Amino acid sequence: MSNALPVADAQQVRRYARELARRHPRGLAAALGLHALAAAAGLVAPRLLGDLVEGISRGVGAVTVDRVALAIAGFVVAQSVLVRFAHLASARLGERVLAELREEFVDRVLALPLSTVERAGTGDLLTRTSRDVAALSRTVRFAAPETLIAAVTVLLILGALLLTGPLLVVPCLIAVPMLVAGTRWYLRRAPAGYLRENAAYSDITDGISETVEGARTTEALRQQARRRARTDADIRRSYAAEYYTLSLRTVFFPVAEIGYLLPVVGTLLLGGWFYLEGWASLGQVTAATLYAQLLVDPVDRLLSWLDEFQVGGASLARLLGVAAEPADAAAPPDRRPVSDDGRLAAHDVRYAYRAGHDVLHGVTLVPRPGEKLAMVGPSGAGKSTLGRLLAGVHAPRAGAVTVDGRPLSGLPLAELRTHVALVSQEHHVFIGTLTDNVAMVRPDAGPAEVRAALAAVDALDWAEALPDGLDTRVGAGGHPLSPAQAQQLALARLVLADPHTLVLDEATSLIDPRAARALERSLAAVLQGRTVIAIAHRLFSAHDADRVAVVEDGRITELGSHDELVAAGGSYAALWRSWHG
Amino acid sequence: MRFSPAGDPGTPDARSATRYLVWLAGRHPLLFGGAIALGVTWMLAQALMPAAVGRAIDAGLTHRDPDALLRWGLVLLGLGVVQATTGILRHRCAVHNWLGAAYRTVQVTVDATNRLGAALPRRVAAGEVVSIGTADIEHIGSAVDITARGTGAVVAIAAVSAILLTASVPLGLVVVLGVPLLMALVALLIRPLHRQQAAYRDSTGELTARAADIVSGLRVLRGVGGEPMLGARYREQSQALRADGLRVARVESLIQAAQILLPGVFVVLVTWLGARFALRGEISAGQLVSFYGYTAFLVSPLRNLTEAADKLTRGHVAARRVVRLLRLAPEFTEPARPVPVPEGPGELVDVRSGLVLRPGRLTALAATAPEDAAEIADRLGRYVDGDVTLHGVPLREVALATVRERILVADNDAQLFSGALRTELDPRDRGDHHAVEAALVAASATDIVEALPGGLDSPVAERGREFSGGQRQRLRLARALVADPETLILVEPTSAVDAHTEARIADRLAAARRGRTTLVCTTSPLVLGRAEHVVFVEDGKVVAEGRHDELLAAEPRYRATVSREEDR
Repeated sequence: MSNALPVADAQQVRRYARELARRHPRGLAAALGLHALAAAAGLVAPRLLGDLVEGISRGVGAVTVDRVALAIAGFVVAQSVLVRFAHLASARLGERVLAELREEFVDRVLALPLSTVERAGTGDLLTRTSRDVAALSRTVRFAAPETLIAAVTVLLILGALLLTGPLLVVPCLIAVPMLVAGTRWYLRRAPAGYLRENAAYSDITDGISETVEGARTTEALRQQARRRARTDADIRRSYAAEYYTLSLRTVFFPVAEIGYLLPVVGTLLLGGWFYLEGWASLGQVTAATLYAQLLVDPVDRLLSWLDEFQVGGASLARLLGVAAEPADAAAPPDRRPVSDDGRLAAHDVRYAYRAGHDVLHGVTLVPRPGEKLAMVGPSGAGKSTLGRLLAGVHAPRAGAVTVDGRPLSGLPLAELRTHVALVSQEHHVFIGTLTDNVAMVRPDAGPAEVRAALAAVDALDWAEALPDGLDTRVGAGGHPLSPAQAQQLALARLVLADPHTLVLDEATSLIDPRAARALERSLAAVLQGRTVIAIAHRLFSAHDADRVAVVEDGRITELGSHDELVAAGGSYAALWRSWHG
Repeated sequence: MRFSPAGDPGTPDARSATRYLVWLAGRHPLLFGGAIALGVTWMLAQALMPAAVGRAIDAGLTHRDPDALLRWGLVLLGLGVVQATTGILRHRCAVHNWLGAAYRTVQVTVDATNRLGAALPRRVAAGEVVSIGTADIEHIGSAVDITARGTGAVVAIAAVSAILLTASVPLGLVVVLGVPLLMALVALLIRPLHRQQAAYRDSTGELTARAADIVSGLRVLRGVGGEPMLGARYREQSQALRADGLRVARVESLIQAAQILLPGVFVVLVTWLGARFALRGEISAGQLVSFYGYTAFLVSPLRNLTEAADKLTRGHVAARRVVRLLRLAPEFTEPARPVPVPEGPGELVDVRSGLVLRPGRLTALAATAPEDAAEIADRLGRYVDGDVTLHGVPLREVALATVRERILVADNDAQLFSGALRTELDPRDRGDHHAVEAALVAASATDIVEALPGGLDSPVAERGREFSGGQRQRLRLARALVADPETLILVEPTSAVDAHTEARIADRLAAARRGRTTLVCTTSPLVLGRAEHVVFVEDGKVVAEGRHDELLAAEPRYRATVSREEDR
């Protein structure tokens, strides 16, 4: 799919992981060292127990037994203290790395060209933001330290076995080919299987949400049987996915279990034979058998976290992929100063969302400074696209949008927004305080300026009446705002940003007609003294404009004042007559 | 008995949460019983393994008997094979128990939701039902699964205790009493950890929400700016989460240390006591090793038990929510003896507003207050109770199914369900290709379908979110036209489309509904001007009727409502 956001390749992921490790050499060394010490302390007990068993069989005194028991207790205490600090050290490292990862990702998202977001849809990006960050968090917080500890423990146990009796390591090695082959087989299939399982499971969850939200529609259209059929289909799909992973486990789990068992039985038999032949002491055999048993847990943990690592790696690849996206083709920055009331112009611009499918076919439009220009035309004619080009959101494929002769696409974002802003029909209230929601467009603005901006759009009264006034948390999960209030908030942002040109993309549509009246007053305050290009779908806004541009099929077909166009008798006139009754 | 994931769920026992869980567990008695039996065998095989090691050391090594060594070595291998086999079979039963309970709960939830229909939002918060799907089914599945696993753990603990006590009463008592005590101590420590973890999960959720919020608001951001501030706010919260994470880690690290220290000290105690007993000849060296093994083994079944207590509590809470939903009754009781309504189109009358819909005519309704129109529509469709008659029969006395069949209210809150567009546009499964095409033309929605890569066979995502507001509105209109009810009530069907499209829809709507009864609630002059008959509603009452131009000329308030530029 060429539309999806890119995914980083394995090499990039590895390079990034190495770079992360290099960024925190001391934290990494501390975590590794402490875990190794803790694991080492944990391995002394079986060895001493072996000594104890041997001592008993030889008939040592009670004093020796007491001394050995005390020694074991000492190592247990040492191990628990070491584990505490090891855990803290790796958590400190993990949390830092995790914070870096997610903050870098959000910075990348914030720098993402809008054309990319539109092409890929926000769905993919949302999935990466929530699911992939969460998956990576699991990997960094649990899988990485657990794997690290398990690996260190396995190495140390093998070392302890070597010290106990080098030949007693042999039974552990017989399990290696079996475990390696089994794990490889499983890991090749498992991640895709579990992804499918999770996807099918979320389909069930989504299906329930949809059924609940659409309960009235279901009743009105008598869709009950269909909703049930859809649910049953989701369940069947989920079961198929679950059954597949269950089958994988049915093969892999017994193989792994037998793989863990063989070294224990092998060590016992081989050690016993050595003992009977007099090549090893009873203590050595007992300790070796206990070590072989001790291996089971860390090896099991090592294997079970491996697929989590695969999932985490895939998530990291998707997060890094967002950076790999090239920015919108930008002309080299032009340092010439632009006057404050610059003149915006589009010359022969063309634009295509998909290569070879131009939606604008050479449009030229030069708004006069200070005028209200309305753009009307059927849906899909290219009005919104032209609006975005004029606002510098998209760069034209051919032709140029300029302000005072300088191409918009070459301007730094911060400067671009002092010239032109786009207000769309979407009015998003961001999570945060009301003040943040206004001041975000100019972080240096003081409280007085924010209040003035709210007052300019008639929003100060209700804003101050909120539970915590301007510090009330709004947006998802916060204090709810009505659509009209949200729209006023958007307008207050514009007052504060203070650009000389505004592009309104159906900014007053989709709202309660009665609220529209209050909103129109707020809007009028914002529009005062600015050049306005309004994409309208209600004709009364066109009637008030200085000029009207009719956009049809990616071209401007009529341009003139309302009266001129009505007199000309074109498509605008026809529409106006039918509207006016 | 084969496991059928989406078979008939049967009638749930909704008398109480516990009865509901028991009902679920009883649906597949073989699987449930199998999970218990296999769980017991699996645990016992595990429990006996230390004994086999001990016997191998005693009989084989201490007594220098190679045959005994080999025999007990093979017994150990056999126990391991039994453990691996019963383990995976038990796991298979457990997964099926889990899935069976979860799937069945999904089915009965969907059935209950469908039964409640339009009354649902008034009876229960939507979030509560949705959370059955997102969280509760997992808890219910786990509760049913852990019941089987917990039973196995109880049997294993009993068996190991018996073995220990036969070997040595004092040492056995130390282990049998000491291990549960230890588990209880660790459990006490774990409670504050759970609190910290819950707080951390909440903060994580909030941070994710903030990131998702930035993504959803990207288009707005690109228009006016604000990236640096939102980035800074995200970083602040991310660093706060990092601090939270460290707080959790601090508690966690203490617990991990305790989990090493407490059992470790205990094992040392048992070993030390065992060694002293062994010195006195009360137990053998091999038994000492198996005591060590048993002590370590007991931790696992005991953990199962604490887990069981936790999961059963959560499962019970979840089941309570399900049971509450199952017991909700729909809002309207069906009339005891439904009165049949004469066949064919008949007059639909709303007594309160005085609205009369003549059969076979397209009527437009313009109300000064949009909520008046919505209320009349709800009464006509019997979503709220009202004095409404069809063919002279009060709707109250008509079976609700009949009302739904003959009168369709299509408003802007109606949902587009996910699925193939062709199916979604044809809610009554007419399978009539021409009807769908004609409805798309009438709703001026052919361009939407043409732009889709797979045309009518393209999938629609949840809530039709890939479509713009105007596109969704036109598709909903097309769907209502395909449904082709005897009476169709459209509430603001063109509020989100541009004037050109609105004019086209208004031109085609009358033809698409020829011979059927239609009411369009709207204030758009483009639609009103093309309606056969217009009624004007003020304060919930019909105050004037006629054609659009007549009303424009005669009623200044009508004129004010429909052409707002005159109102300034």
